[in-house]
Amino acid sequence: MTQMEYAKPRSFKELDGIFESAKGPLRFIAGGTNVVPDLRAGTISPRLLVDLSGLKEMAYIREVKGEIAIGALSTISDILASRVICDKAPLLFQAARHLGSPLTRNRATIGGNLADASPAADTAPSLLAMGAMVHTRRRRGKERTIPLDRFFLGPNKTILAKDEIITRITFAKPKDPSRGRYLKLGLRNAMTISVASLAVSLEPEGSSFGGARIGLGAVAPTPVRAYLVEKKLASGAMDPKNIEACAQLITKEISPISDIRASADYRKRVVAVLFQRAIQAAVNGGTP
Amino acid sequence: MPEKQHPANDHPPVDVVGRSLPRCDAADKALGNTKYAEDYFLPGMLYGKVLRSEHAAAKILSIDTRNAEKLSGVRAVMTAKDVPHNETITRFGQTHTVGGFEGLYRILADKKVRFMGEGVALVAADTPAIAEEAARLIRVDYQPLPGVFDPFEALKRGAHRVGEESSNLVCYYKVRQGDITEGFAASDVIVKNTYRVPFQEHAYIEPEAGLAWIDDDGVINIQVCTQVIEHYREIADVLGLSYNKVRVKGTWIGGGFGGKEDITVETYLALLTWKTKRPVKMAYSREESIICHGKRHPYIMTYKTGATREGKLMALEAKLVSDAGAYVYLSPWVLLYSTVGAAGPYKIPHVKIDARTVLTNNTFSSAFRGFGVPQVCFAYESQMDELAERLHLSPLELRRRNYLRKGEATATGYVLEHYAASPEAAEKALEALGEKTKSKSPAVKIGRGIGSSMTSYGRMVFLHDTSRSYVGMELDGSVTVRCGVQDLGGGQASSLAQIAAEILGVSMADTRVFIADTALTPIAGTTTATRQLYMSGNATSMAAKEVRKNLLDKAGEILGAEPGDLDLRDGIISVMNDPSRSVPLNTVVRACASSGISLFHIAQFNAPARELVDFKKGQGQVFPDFTFGTHAAEVAVDVETGKIDVLKLAACFDVGKAINPQAVEGQLEGGTIQGMGYALLEDVILDKGITLTPSFSEYLIPTSLDAVDVRCILIESGDGIGPFGAKGVGEPSLVSAAPALANAVRDAIGAGIPDLPLTRNAS
Repeated sequence: MTQMEYAKPRSFKELDGIFESAKGPLRFIAGGTNVVPDLRAGTISPRLLVDLSGLKEMAYIREVKGEIAIGALSTISDILASRVICDKAPLLFQAARHLGSPLTRNRATIGGNLADASPAADTAPSLLAMGAMVHTRRRRGKERTIPLDRFFLGPNKTILAKDEIITRITFAKPKDPSRGRYLKLGLRNAMTISVASLAVSLEPEGSSFGGARIGLGAVAPTPVRAYLVEKKLASGAMDPKNIEACAQLITKEISPISDIRASADYRKRVVAVLFQRAIQAAVNGGTP
Repeated sequence: MPEKQHPANDHPPVDVVGRSLPRCDAADKALGNTKYAEDYFLPGMLYGKVLRSEHAAAKILSIDTRNAEKLSGVRAVMTAKDVPHNETITRFGQTHTVGGFEGLYRILADKKVRFMGEGVALVAADTPAIAEEAARLIRVDYQPLPGVFDPFEALKRGAHRVGEESSNLVCYYKVRQGDITEGFAASDVIVKNTYRVPFQEHAYIEPEAGLAWIDDDGVINIQVCTQVIEHYREIADVLGLSYNKVRVKGTWIGGGFGGKEDITVETYLALLTWKTKRPVKMAYSREESIICHGKRHPYIMTYKTGATREGKLMALEAKLVSDAGAYVYLSPWVLLYSTVGAAGPYKIPHVKIDARTVLTNNTFSSAFRGFGVPQVCFAYESQMDELAERLHLSPLELRRRNYLRKGEATATGYVLEHYAASPEAAEKALEALGEKTKSKSPAVKIGRGIGSSMTSYGRMVFLHDTSRSYVGMELDGSVTVRCGVQDLGGGQASSLAQIAAEILGVSMADTRVFIADTALTPIAGTTTATRQLYMSGNATSMAAKEVRKNLLDKAGEILGAEPGDLDLRDGIISVMNDPSRSVPLNTVVRACASSGISLFHIAQFNAPARELVDFKKGQGQVFPDFTFGTHAAEVAVDVETGKIDVLKLAACFDVGKAINPQAVEGQLEGGTIQGMGYALLEDVILDKGITLTPSFSEYLIPTSLDAVDVRCILIESGDGIGPFGAKGVGEPSLVSAAPALANAVRDAIGAGIPDLPLTRNAS
């Protein structure tokens, strides 16, 4: 019978010690909403399970000098309860609200949501649209900062090394929080994996879109930015013609698959719809 | 031919029946005190595990269990060769067997596997982890076979043979009434479509589980969540034991919906406890449950319906093909329900129906709430709305012109003997939707639809169904009911308490029902086919009346009055016209006891018994009676994304008499939402027999945020054949929900979708 060992470090120092003595493959666990089902199903079988939930210093949400920092162990419920997120980064609030069920949200962490690297990760499109950075730590305190759009490598694959954990996620406080919109299309109204999701964050300048960022979920092997569309939006006027043209373009910028939830063709169609609705709502105010 | 019995209709309910009293099982369930099958433990018990086939179709070349047997903590490993009688026949539950469609199935796969998830070997071990590891260590050499996964492919000459017979066709029924050539010639409008409906998973809260042990008398006891405790006979057959050496005790059940009608864990448990002589527990994981138990049958249905320009239905031709999956199980009976129900609650002079069910290497199909009727209801109700559109009639008006009324004959030639509430139910259901919601966006279209149905309650009359119930009055005036009813959570036990309390003039609190034990409770048949209130309700009513009669006779002696002039309520027997003359029930009970008058009775209720129908012409009575009703739905369809939001749902059914109105509404709400899942979401997807939707992450059922408040309207015609004129509503409550929603979507987008679920990928 495969034996799995379990370790729960209380500090980075203890974590380093675990790295030094670890033999064979290890796996990190925080909230466990992805890892536990995978363990039960036998799709992963690590020799050592390293529970990060004892690293209490990684559970915080704060704003410092125009930057919002979210500790990797913050749960989705923590994010929903945070005044900082609610007031200053409602785009993330909107996404967090649609993640799983209350039970899942109480356990799932934002670090885990990103590290799991599902193409449909609920928090990713909003974080991409806010230009988020992922801060990590390796053994012996080696740290690095990775832009989120370079973090994901493929379905369930990230740039993280085997001994590397996410410590926090940061992004600049949006200039105009009211200009962010997140839309998720699932097959039902709750506890649903995205068929397509989209987050837009606008920073209009006069009659142009100015800095616009678009994050997409479930329409490519990883959550992605729609750079071509962002560029076209910024280069054109803030008018329906430009929006329409960008909606055409967005279907070309994505590479969705057909699976049991939806066909690739359907995903392309609805992303264009979600895009138009989100942009219009972000421009005009109101809910999409 | 025996007379129909209406045992309780001479007792107008007064105090208890007809009131929304808290069910006797409610408080413990609300408090979390109720034990379900997996909650029981015994000292020294082992854990059972099933090794299941990874292939949908393969030969078994060899099975090597040596490594599993060597593992420390493993107490038994069993394969087909260790099962005394590995092949068995489904005999549909009771004493009267009907030839023809006996379905073979195997306890464990032997020489070949027919579907992915079929049991191949059993393990009993000290812990669940050891049992799982042992199952992994069993080496099975398979030679994969091509298999066949589509019923039409399976019917072709030279197709892979799923079973041992020369053909994959399980059975073929026909209905022939009138002459469809003539009927279509007389039709001004003819509508023809092919409809497809998917496998549906029962998705009960409680996966299959049980615990077995051998008691001091050498009897194998099996405590299990089942809809059919009477499988004890089949279990005994498997072990080669006499029927009184196996006892099945049913637990409170966290949902059945037909999925616990066939044997699940009980034979495996019996085998393992018989082999090890130790208690053995087994509980399926959710994934295991979804992969291995029977599903609602997928159907492909070609419907051609003709009507005159006045909106009079003239002809119906329907071809039904259902996917039985890898073993026969209940497929022939499900198909018969579809065949008899194929024309719906409508009067159609010319009808031709051809129905076939076919083996494939998919997960087997079997019973599921509605039992073959939801599939055809989706088809015939979709046809009605397309016809209505073509005829420029409202869907309601077209139906009104064609609904069957009492005294009229169905497509199978059965003349309806009881009130057929269809017109009234349809009007009330539609009305319950209230004012039409206005769309807030040009992309969102609002639509409304109705679906009507007639669904049987009670088993097929040629099965000669029976139920028994014991009612006794204790010396302290409290009432004991013993009845072998299985309670699925629908209030099957509580309604018996309510009936007995009513007839014996005591409160619900003074009534106790003991259920579901083949050793101790009179056999009451299956909790399937919407039959328990009808069958066991009647049996309980009959038994209670015998006790009541003895009480009133004795009270008459005491009071010097005619028993017929006496009233029994609230624990007091009094003279109806002179309530000052009364005697406490307790005094009468003691008087009866001391004078040797029995205060208990076991009654048997026999359903009307008829001869077997002619399957070539499909003419004759198949069911004891029908429940009529209509669902109405209002939806908002986002035409740019295809998202369907259900705004309103209503269900109006003639329930005959609501023994407990709140419990009836509970059934209607649950059935309606389950039907909504069937319409909008639920789809067991198989790829060459491999289930791609083995968990609730892929197999989506409605959440509380998808459900809406179902507006329930109860018609109480009093014209049912259950106790107090009740009809059954457990299955009818689901049947017409999906077509109501489909028709609402059609109304919203101006086009019908012929496939369920109504997914957005449909073009």
